[in-house]
Amino acid sequence: MKIESTDKVKKGLAEMLKGGVIMDVVNAEQAKIAEKSGAVAVMALERIPADIRADGGVARMSSVSVIQEVMESVSIPVMAKARIGHFVEAQMLDSLGIDFIDESEVLTPADEVNHINKHNFKAPFVCGATGLGEATRRIAEGASMIRTKGEAGTGNVVEAVRHMRTITNELNEVIACDEHEIVALSKKFRAPLNVLEEIKELNKLPVVNFAAGGIATPADAALMMQLGCDGVFVGSGIFKSGDPSERAEAIVIATTNFNDPKVLAEVSKNLGEPMVGINIDTLSEEEKLARRGW
Amino acid sequence: MKVGILSFQGSFLDHSKSISEIGFNPLLIKQSKDLDFIDALILPGGESTAMKKINEFSGLLSKLDQIIKDGIPTLTTCAGTILLAKEVIGGEETIPNIDIEITRNAYGRQTESFEGNVKFFENEDIYCFIRAPKISKILSDEVDIIAEHNDEIVGAAQKNVVALTFHPELNNDEYYLNWLYDFILEGKNVRSF
Repeated sequence: MKIESTDKVKKGLAEMLKGGVIMDVVNAEQAKIAEKSGAVAVMALERIPADIRADGGVARMSSVSVIQEVMESVSIPVMAKARIGHFVEAQMLDSLGIDFIDESEVLTPADEVNHINKHNFKAPFVCGATGLGEATRRIAEGASMIRTKGEAGTGNVVEAVRHMRTITNELNEVIACDEHEIVALSKKFRAPLNVLEEIKELNKLPVVNFAAGGIATPADAALMMQLGCDGVFVGSGIFKSGDPSERAEAIVIATTNFNDPKVLAEVSKNLGEPMVGINIDTLSEEEKLARRGW
Repeated sequence: MKVGILSFQGSFLDHSKSISEIGFNPLLIKQSKDLDFIDALILPGGESTAMKKINEFSGLLSKLDQIIKDGIPTLTTCAGTILLAKEVIGGEETIPNIDIEITRNAYGRQTESFEGNVKFFENEDIYCFIRAPKISKILSDEVDIIAEHNDEIVGAAQKNVVALTFHPELNNDEYYLNWLYDFILEGKNVRSF
Protein backbone atom coordinates (compact mmCIF):
# COMPACT_ATOMS: atom_id res chain seq x y z
CA MET A 1 0.00 0.00 0.00
CA LYS A 2 1.26 3.45 -0.91
CA ILE A 3 -0.79 6.69 -1.03
CA GLU A 4 0.87 9.93 -2.10
CA SER A 5 0.03 13.52 -1.13
CA THR A 6 -2.21 12.76 1.83
CA ASP A 7 -3.06 15.53 4.26
CA LYS A 8 -0.72 13.93 6.78
CA VAL A 9 2.19 13.78 4.34
CA LYS A 10 1.65 17.44 3.37
CA LYS A 11 1.54 18.63 6.98
CA GLY A 12 4.45 16.28 7.70
CA LEU A 13 6.84 18.19 5.44
CA ALA A 14 5.99 21.40 7.32
CA GLU A 15 6.79 19.54 10.57
CA MET A 16 10.25 18.66 9.19
CA LEU A 17 10.94 22.33 8.37
CA LYS A 18 10.26 23.43 11.96
CA GLY A 19 12.98 25.36 13.73
CA GLY A 20 14.49 26.20 10.36
CA VAL A 21 14.95 29.15 8.01
CA ILE A 22 13.40 29.37 4.53
CA MET A 23 15.20 31.82 2.24
CA ASP A 24 14.11 33.75 -0.87
CA VAL A 25 16.43 33.18 -3.84
CA VAL A 26 16.31 34.39 -7.46
CA ASN A 27 18.76 32.00 -9.14
CA ALA A 28 20.78 28.79 -8.75
CA GLU A 29 23.79 30.63 -7.33
CA GLN A 30 21.76 32.17 -4.48
CA ALA A 31 19.99 28.85 -3.89
CA LYS A 32 23.34 27.12 -3.40
CA ILE A 33 24.49 29.83 -0.98
CA ALA A 34 21.24 29.39 0.97
CA GLU A 35 21.62 25.59 1.10
CA LYS A 36 25.27 25.88 2.19
CA SER A 37 24.28 28.37 4.88
CA GLY A 38 21.82 25.90 6.42
CA ALA A 39 18.45 26.89 4.93
CA VAL A 40 15.81 24.14 5.35
CA ALA A 41 14.15 25.22 2.09
CA VAL A 42 14.33 27.98 -0.52
CA MET A 43 11.63 30.10 -2.12
CA ALA A 44 12.33 30.44 -5.85
CA LEU A 45 11.44 33.93 -7.09
CA GLU A 46 12.10 36.10 -10.10
CA ARG A 47 12.39 39.20 -7.92
CA ILE A 48 12.65 39.45 -4.14
CA PRO A 49 9.87 41.39 -2.37
CA ALA A 50 11.98 44.57 -1.89
CA ASP A 51 12.45 44.76 -5.66
CA ILE A 52 8.80 43.91 -6.39
CA ARG A 53 7.93 46.81 -4.10
CA ALA A 54 10.41 49.14 -5.84
CA ASP A 55 9.50 48.11 -9.40
CA GLY A 56 5.72 48.31 -9.03
CA GLY A 57 3.44 46.87 -11.73
CA VAL A 58 1.80 43.46 -11.67
CA ALA A 59 3.80 40.79 -9.84
CA ARG A 60 3.08 37.27 -11.15
CA MET A 61 4.32 33.72 -10.63
CA SER A 62 8.06 33.51 -11.40
CA SER A 63 9.18 32.24 -14.77
CA VAL A 64 9.23 28.46 -15.07
CA SER A 65 12.89 28.52 -16.08
CA VAL A 66 13.94 30.33 -12.87
CA ILE A 67 11.96 27.85 -10.77
CA GLN A 68 13.38 24.83 -12.57
CA GLU A 69 16.91 26.21 -12.38
CA VAL A 70 16.57 26.49 -8.60
CA MET A 71 14.93 23.04 -8.30
CA GLU A 72 17.85 21.46 -10.16
CA SER A 73 20.52 23.25 -8.14
CA VAL A 74 19.75 22.16 -4.55
CA SER A 75 18.76 19.04 -2.59
CA ILE A 76 16.56 20.86 -0.04
CA PRO A 77 12.82 21.52 -0.68
CA VAL A 78 11.97 24.29 -3.14
CA MET A 79 8.91 26.51 -2.74
CA ALA A 80 7.39 28.95 -5.24
CA LYS A 81 4.68 31.59 -5.10
CA ALA A 82 1.35 31.70 -6.91
CA ARG A 83 -0.97 34.74 -6.87
CA ILE A 84 -3.90 34.68 -4.45
CA GLY A 85 -6.77 32.88 -6.19
CA HIS A 86 -4.71 32.05 -9.29
CA PHE A 87 -5.31 28.31 -9.31
CA VAL A 88 -3.80 27.90 -12.77
CA GLU A 89 -0.43 29.26 -11.62
CA ALA A 90 -0.71 26.77 -8.75
CA GLN A 91 -1.57 23.94 -11.19
CA MET A 92 1.54 24.78 -13.20
CA LEU A 93 3.75 24.77 -10.09
CA ASP A 94 2.20 21.45 -9.04
CA SER A 95 2.98 19.97 -12.46
CA LEU A 96 6.63 21.04 -12.13
CA GLY A 97 6.83 18.92 -8.95
CA ILE A 98 7.43 21.91 -6.65
CA ASP A 99 7.72 20.91 -2.96
CA PHE A 100 5.52 23.69 -1.51
CA ILE A 101 3.29 26.40 -3.00
CA ASP A 102 3.00 29.81 -1.31
CA GLU A 103 -0.31 31.46 -2.18
CA SER A 104 1.17 34.86 -1.58
CA GLU A 105 0.06 38.42 -1.01
CA VAL A 106 3.52 39.52 -2.21
CA LEU A 107 2.25 38.90 -5.75
CA THR A 108 -0.66 40.86 -7.19
CA PRO A 109 -3.91 39.03 -6.32
CA ALA A 110 -5.78 37.37 -9.20
CA ASP A 111 -9.10 37.03 -7.37
CA GLU A 112 -10.46 39.65 -4.99
CA VAL A 113 -12.93 37.27 -3.29
CA ASN A 114 -11.62 33.71 -3.37
CA HIS A 115 -8.45 31.92 -2.44
CA ILE A 116 -7.36 28.68 -4.15
CA ASN A 117 -9.05 25.42 -3.10
CA LYS A 118 -5.81 23.89 -1.90
CA HIS A 119 -7.14 20.38 -1.24
CA ASN A 120 -6.90 19.47 -4.93
CA PHE A 121 -3.13 19.71 -5.24
CA LYS A 122 -0.29 17.24 -4.80
CA ALA A 123 2.00 19.90 -3.31
CA PRO A 124 1.26 21.32 0.15
CA PHE A 125 0.43 25.04 0.49
CA VAL A 126 1.60 27.77 2.85
CA CYS A 127 -0.51 30.94 3.22
CA GLY A 128 -0.08 34.25 5.02
CA ALA A 129 -2.30 35.40 7.87
CA THR A 130 -2.69 38.55 9.97
CA GLY A 131 -4.96 36.95 12.57
CA LEU A 132 -6.69 33.73 13.56
CA GLY A 133 -9.67 34.20 11.23
CA GLU A 134 -7.47 34.42 8.18
CA ALA A 135 -5.28 31.52 9.37
CA THR A 136 -8.25 29.21 9.96
CA ARG A 137 -9.94 30.12 6.68
CA ARG A 138 -6.73 29.17 4.85
CA ILE A 139 -6.52 25.90 6.83
CA ALA A 140 -10.12 25.10 5.90
CA GLU A 141 -9.19 25.69 2.23
CA GLY A 142 -6.41 23.11 2.63
CA ALA A 143 -3.28 25.04 3.70
CA SER A 144 -0.72 22.74 5.38
CA MET A 145 1.28 25.59 6.86
CA ILE A 146 0.62 29.19 7.94
CA ARG A 147 2.98 32.16 8.11
CA THR A 148 2.51 35.67 9.38
CA LYS A 149 2.13 38.13 6.52
CA GLY A 150 4.27 40.78 8.16
CA GLU A 151 5.14 43.44 5.60
CA ALA A 152 7.36 41.86 2.96
CA GLY A 153 10.27 43.77 1.46
CA THR A 154 10.49 46.36 4.24
CA GLY A 155 13.14 44.85 6.53
CA ASN A 156 10.83 46.02 9.34
CA VAL A 157 9.66 43.32 11.73
CA VAL A 158 6.87 45.33 13.39
CA GLU A 159 4.02 43.93 11.27
CA ALA A 160 5.16 40.31 11.70
CA VAL A 161 5.18 40.90 15.47
CA ARG A 162 1.70 42.41 15.32
CA HIS A 163 0.36 39.46 13.31
CA MET A 164 1.99 36.84 15.52
CA ARG A 165 0.72 38.48 18.71
CA THR A 166 -2.77 38.72 17.21
CA ILE A 167 -2.79 35.06 16.18
CA THR A 168 -1.52 33.97 19.62
CA ASN A 169 -3.99 36.12 21.57
CA GLU A 170 -6.93 34.95 19.48
CA LEU A 171 -5.74 31.35 19.69
CA ASN A 172 -5.60 31.63 23.49
CA GLU A 173 -9.13 33.00 23.52
CA VAL A 174 -10.35 29.92 21.63
CA ILE A 175 -8.36 27.48 23.79
CA ALA A 176 -9.69 29.07 27.00
CA CYS A 177 -13.30 29.47 25.87
CA ASP A 178 -16.28 27.61 27.28
CA GLU A 179 -17.83 25.11 24.82
CA HIS A 180 -20.91 27.35 24.59
CA GLU A 181 -18.82 30.30 23.39
CA ILE A 182 -17.15 28.66 20.41
CA VAL A 183 -19.86 29.50 17.85
CA ALA A 184 -19.76 33.15 18.90
CA LEU A 185 -15.95 33.12 18.52
CA SER A 186 -16.32 31.55 15.10
CA LYS A 187 -18.55 34.48 14.16
CA LYS A 188 -16.28 37.06 15.83
CA PHE A 189 -13.11 35.90 14.05
CA ARG A 190 -14.88 34.82 10.84
CA ALA A 191 -13.23 31.46 11.53
CA PRO A 192 -14.61 28.10 10.30
CA LEU A 193 -16.17 26.29 13.27
CA ASN A 194 -14.59 22.91 12.48
CA VAL A 195 -11.08 24.38 12.56
CA LEU A 196 -11.81 26.13 15.89
CA GLU A 197 -13.03 22.81 17.31
CA GLU A 198 -9.81 21.17 16.13
CA ILE A 199 -7.79 23.96 17.82
CA LYS A 200 -9.69 23.42 21.05
CA GLU A 201 -8.98 19.71 20.95
CA LEU A 202 -5.26 20.11 20.18
CA ASN A 203 -4.72 23.29 22.26
CA LYS A 204 -2.80 24.72 19.31
CA LEU A 205 -3.09 25.46 15.59
CA PRO A 206 -3.45 22.21 13.61
CA VAL A 207 -0.59 23.28 11.28
CA VAL A 208 2.89 24.74 11.63
CA ASN A 209 3.09 28.57 11.85
CA PHE A 210 6.20 30.38 10.58
CA ALA A 211 7.16 34.06 10.79
CA ALA A 212 7.49 36.06 7.58
CA GLY A 213 7.54 39.62 6.31
CA GLY A 214 10.28 42.01 7.45
CA ILE A 215 12.80 39.72 9.17
CA ALA A 216 16.27 41.14 8.50
CA THR A 217 18.57 40.26 11.41
CA PRO A 218 19.40 37.27 13.65
CA ALA A 219 17.70 39.19 16.48
CA ASP A 220 14.50 39.56 14.40
CA ALA A 221 14.45 35.81 13.77
CA ALA A 222 14.99 35.02 17.47
CA LEU A 223 12.30 37.55 18.45
CA MET A 224 9.73 35.78 16.26
CA MET A 225 10.79 32.38 17.66
CA GLN A 226 10.46 33.63 21.24
CA LEU A 227 6.98 34.90 20.33
CA GLY A 228 6.11 31.28 19.50
CA CYS A 229 6.69 30.91 15.76
CA ASP A 230 7.81 27.48 14.51
CA GLY A 231 10.44 28.83 12.11
CA VAL A 232 11.15 31.83 9.86
CA PHE A 233 11.03 32.96 6.26
CA VAL A 234 13.66 35.51 5.29
CA GLY A 235 12.99 37.26 2.02
CA SER A 236 14.82 40.39 1.06
CA GLY A 237 16.79 40.43 4.34
CA ILE A 238 19.56 38.12 3.15
CA PHE A 239 20.39 38.93 -0.45
CA LYS A 240 19.79 42.69 0.04
CA SER A 241 22.42 42.77 2.79
CA GLY A 242 26.18 43.39 2.64
CA ASP A 243 27.32 39.78 3.13
CA PRO A 244 24.47 37.37 2.29
CA SER A 245 26.29 34.15 3.17
CA GLU A 246 27.41 35.32 6.63
CA ARG A 247 24.01 36.81 7.39
CA ALA A 248 22.18 33.68 6.24
CA GLU A 249 24.31 31.49 8.50
CA ALA A 250 23.87 33.84 11.44
CA ILE A 251 20.07 33.81 11.04
CA VAL A 252 20.09 29.99 10.88
CA ILE A 253 22.13 29.71 14.10
CA ALA A 254 19.95 32.36 15.77
CA THR A 255 16.74 30.52 14.85
CA THR A 256 17.96 27.30 16.49
CA ASN A 257 19.42 29.06 19.55
CA PHE A 258 16.66 31.69 19.83
CA ASN A 259 16.64 31.49 23.63
CA ASP A 260 20.36 32.06 24.11
CA PRO A 261 21.25 35.79 24.02
CA LYS A 262 25.00 35.04 24.21
CA VAL A 263 24.83 33.03 21.01
CA LEU A 264 22.66 35.70 19.38
CA ALA A 265 25.21 38.40 20.24
CA GLU A 266 28.09 36.25 19.01
CA VAL A 267 26.58 35.45 15.61
CA SER A 268 25.57 39.09 15.13
CA LYS A 269 29.20 40.27 15.28
CA ASN A 270 30.79 41.61 12.07
CA LEU A 271 27.76 40.90 9.94
CA GLY A 272 28.10 43.91 7.66
CA GLU A 273 25.24 46.13 6.63
CA PRO A 274 21.67 44.85 7.00
CA MET A 275 19.18 45.80 4.32
CA VAL A 276 17.94 49.37 4.57
CA GLY A 277 14.50 49.20 6.17
CA ILE A 278 11.28 51.07 5.45
CA ASN A 279 9.16 52.63 8.17
CA ILE A 280 5.64 51.21 7.89
CA ASP A 281 4.16 54.69 8.65
CA THR A 282 5.58 55.98 5.38
CA LEU A 283 3.64 53.37 3.36
CA SER A 284 0.18 54.28 2.16
CA GLU A 285 -2.60 51.75 2.77
CA GLU A 286 -2.41 50.79 -0.93
CA GLU A 287 1.29 50.01 -0.58
CA LYS A 288 0.77 47.56 2.28
CA LEU A 289 0.90 44.01 0.92
CA ALA A 290 -0.61 42.52 4.11
CA ARG A 291 -3.99 44.05 3.16
CA ARG A 292 -4.19 41.58 0.26
CA GLY A 293 -6.10 38.36 1.03
CA TRP A 294 -9.65 37.83 2.22
CA MET B 1 14.71 8.35 32.44
CA LYS B 2 16.05 11.28 30.45
CA VAL B 3 15.91 11.11 26.68
CA GLY B 4 18.05 13.60 24.78
CA ILE B 5 16.57 14.80 21.51
CA LEU B 6 18.82 16.55 18.99
CA SER B 7 16.95 19.85 18.49
CA PHE B 8 18.84 21.78 15.84
CA GLN B 9 15.79 21.74 13.61
CA GLY B 10 13.07 19.34 12.42
CA SER B 11 10.48 17.17 14.16
CA PHE B 12 12.11 17.26 17.60
CA LEU B 13 8.93 18.46 19.34
CA ASP B 14 6.99 15.49 17.95
CA HIS B 15 9.59 13.12 19.41
CA SER B 16 9.48 15.07 22.63
CA LYS B 17 5.73 14.46 22.81
CA SER B 18 6.22 10.70 22.27
CA ILE B 19 8.75 10.60 25.12
CA SER B 20 6.41 12.49 27.47
CA GLU B 21 3.57 10.14 26.53
CA ILE B 22 5.49 7.09 27.73
CA GLY B 23 6.34 8.84 30.99
CA PHE B 24 10.01 9.74 30.39
CA ASN B 25 11.65 13.19 30.40
CA PRO B 26 12.55 14.68 27.02
CA LEU B 27 15.62 16.93 26.99
CA LEU B 28 16.03 19.22 23.95
CA ILE B 29 19.70 19.38 22.97
CA LYS B 30 21.03 22.29 20.89
CA GLN B 31 24.53 22.86 22.27
CA SER B 32 27.08 20.82 24.21
CA LYS B 33 26.12 22.63 27.41
CA ASP B 34 22.60 21.14 27.14
CA LEU B 35 24.14 17.69 27.40
CA ASP B 36 23.25 16.47 30.81
CA PHE B 37 23.35 12.82 31.78
CA ILE B 38 20.99 11.12 29.34
CA ASP B 39 19.71 7.55 29.19
CA ALA B 40 18.79 7.46 25.52
CA LEU B 41 19.13 9.60 22.41
CA ILE B 42 16.90 10.51 19.44
CA LEU B 43 18.06 12.13 16.20
CA PRO B 44 14.91 13.42 14.46
CA GLY B 45 13.90 14.07 10.88
CA GLY B 46 14.41 17.44 9.24
CA GLU B 47 16.96 18.62 6.68
CA SER B 48 20.32 16.91 7.12
CA THR B 49 22.20 19.71 5.30
CA ALA B 50 20.78 22.31 7.71
CA MET B 51 21.56 20.14 10.74
CA LYS B 52 25.17 19.73 9.61
CA LYS B 53 25.52 23.49 9.19
CA ILE B 54 24.02 24.25 12.60
CA ASN B 55 26.41 21.68 14.07
CA GLU B 56 29.42 23.62 12.76
CA PHE B 57 28.62 26.32 15.31
CA SER B 58 28.35 24.05 18.35
CA GLY B 59 30.34 20.95 17.43
CA LEU B 60 27.74 18.98 19.33
CA LEU B 61 27.65 16.01 16.97
CA SER B 62 31.20 14.88 17.72
CA LYS B 63 30.21 14.66 21.41
CA LEU B 64 27.06 12.73 20.51
CA ASP B 65 29.21 10.43 18.35
CA GLN B 66 31.18 9.37 21.42
CA ILE B 67 28.04 8.84 23.50
CA ILE B 68 26.55 6.66 20.76
CA LYS B 69 29.79 4.64 20.47
CA ASP B 70 29.70 4.18 24.25
CA GLY B 71 26.42 2.29 23.74
CA ILE B 72 23.50 4.60 24.58
CA PRO B 73 20.18 3.44 23.01
CA THR B 74 19.83 5.66 19.93
CA LEU B 75 16.83 6.05 17.63
CA THR B 76 17.11 7.96 14.35
CA THR B 77 14.41 8.88 11.84
CA CYS B 78 14.84 10.18 8.27
CA ALA B 79 17.49 12.97 8.37
CA GLY B 80 18.77 11.58 11.68
CA THR B 81 19.46 8.29 9.89
CA ILE B 82 21.47 10.14 7.22
CA LEU B 83 23.65 11.64 9.99
CA LEU B 84 24.54 8.16 11.33
CA ALA B 85 24.93 6.25 8.04
CA LYS B 86 28.36 4.96 7.09
CA GLU B 87 27.90 5.91 3.43
CA VAL B 88 25.65 8.63 2.00
CA ILE B 89 24.68 8.85 -1.67
CA GLY B 90 23.86 12.48 -2.58
CA GLY B 91 25.49 13.83 0.56
CA GLU B 92 28.40 13.35 2.94
CA GLU B 93 28.83 11.08 5.93
CA THR B 94 28.63 12.87 9.29
CA ILE B 95 29.09 10.62 12.34
CA PRO B 96 29.00 7.05 10.96
CA ASN B 97 27.54 4.67 13.53
CA ILE B 98 25.59 2.16 11.47
CA ASP B 99 26.90 0.11 8.56
CA ILE B 100 24.36 1.09 5.94
CA GLU B 101 24.49 2.99 2.68
CA ILE B 102 21.74 5.60 2.51
CA THR B 103 20.48 7.45 -0.58
CA ARG B 104 19.07 10.93 0.07
CA ASN B 105 15.66 11.95 -1.39
CA ALA B 106 15.53 8.50 -2.96
CA TYR B 107 11.79 8.52 -3.72
CA GLY B 108 11.89 11.98 -5.35
CA ARG B 109 10.43 15.33 -4.35
CA GLN B 110 7.58 16.12 -1.92
CA THR B 111 4.95 15.16 -4.52
CA GLU B 112 6.32 11.60 -4.23
CA SER B 113 6.09 11.61 -0.41
CA PHE B 114 3.59 9.01 0.78
CA GLU B 115 1.92 7.02 3.49
CA GLY B 116 2.73 3.34 3.17
CA ASN B 117 2.44 0.06 5.03
CA VAL B 118 5.48 -0.85 7.11
CA LYS B 119 6.35 -4.06 8.86
CA PHE B 120 8.15 -2.74 11.95
CA PHE B 121 9.51 -5.64 14.01
CA GLU B 122 6.41 -7.83 14.52
CA ASN B 123 3.77 -5.22 13.72
CA GLU B 124 2.31 -3.86 10.49
CA ASP B 125 0.98 -0.29 10.29
CA ILE B 126 0.84 2.74 7.98
CA TYR B 127 3.55 5.38 8.37
CA CYS B 128 4.63 8.61 6.62
CA PHE B 129 7.63 8.81 4.31
CA ILE B 130 8.51 12.47 3.70
CA ARG B 131 11.13 13.18 1.03
CA ALA B 132 12.55 10.06 2.57
CA PRO B 133 15.98 8.51 2.05
CA LYS B 134 16.40 4.82 1.20
CA ILE B 135 18.62 2.31 2.92
CA SER B 136 20.20 1.25 -0.36
CA LYS B 137 22.78 -1.24 1.00
CA ILE B 138 23.54 -3.12 4.18
CA LEU B 139 27.31 -2.98 4.61
CA SER B 140 27.98 -5.57 7.32
CA ASP B 141 26.42 -8.67 8.81
CA GLU B 142 26.22 -6.91 12.17
CA VAL B 143 23.19 -5.04 10.80
CA ASP B 144 19.69 -6.45 11.22
CA ILE B 145 16.75 -5.48 9.05
CA ILE B 146 13.93 -4.46 11.38
CA ALA B 147 11.45 -2.65 9.12
CA GLU B 148 10.29 -3.19 5.55
CA HIS B 149 7.93 -1.46 3.11
CA ASN B 150 7.06 -3.50 0.01
CA ASP B 151 10.38 -5.41 0.20
CA GLU B 152 12.38 -2.21 0.66
CA ILE B 153 14.51 -1.87 3.79
CA VAL B 154 13.17 1.09 5.80
CA GLY B 155 14.64 0.25 9.20
CA ALA B 156 17.95 -1.22 10.33
CA ALA B 157 19.58 -1.91 13.68
CA GLN B 158 23.16 -2.40 14.79
CA LYS B 159 24.21 -2.72 18.42
CA ASN B 160 22.52 0.17 20.26
CA VAL B 161 21.32 2.04 17.13
CA VAL B 162 17.91 1.78 15.46
CA ALA B 163 17.74 3.75 12.20
CA LEU B 164 14.44 4.35 10.38
CA THR B 165 13.59 6.22 7.18
CA PHE B 166 9.92 6.82 8.10
CA HIS B 167 8.22 8.83 10.87
CA PRO B 168 6.66 6.80 13.72
CA GLU B 169 6.65 10.02 15.82
CA LEU B 170 3.91 11.43 13.57
CA ASN B 171 1.70 8.42 14.47
CA ASN B 172 2.51 7.65 18.10
CA ASP B 173 0.58 4.39 17.75
CA GLU B 174 0.44 1.99 20.65
CA TYR B 175 2.87 -0.55 19.19
CA TYR B 176 5.50 2.12 18.51
CA LEU B 177 5.18 3.71 21.96
CA ASN B 178 5.43 0.29 23.66
CA TRP B 179 8.45 -0.57 21.56
CA LEU B 180 10.03 2.85 22.32
CA TYR B 181 9.49 2.33 26.06
CA ASP B 182 11.28 -1.04 25.96
CA PHE B 183 14.03 0.27 23.69
CA ILE B 184 14.87 3.15 26.01
CA LEU B 185 14.99 0.83 28.99
CA GLU B 186 16.76 -2.13 27.41
CA GLY B 187 18.11 -1.05 24.05
CA LYS B 188 21.84 -1.34 24.73
CA ASN B 189 21.85 -4.16 22.24
CA VAL B 190 18.85 -4.21 19.97
CA ARG B 191 19.40 -7.79 18.86
CA SER B 192 18.82 -9.08 22.35
CA PHE B 193 15.07 -8.51 22.26
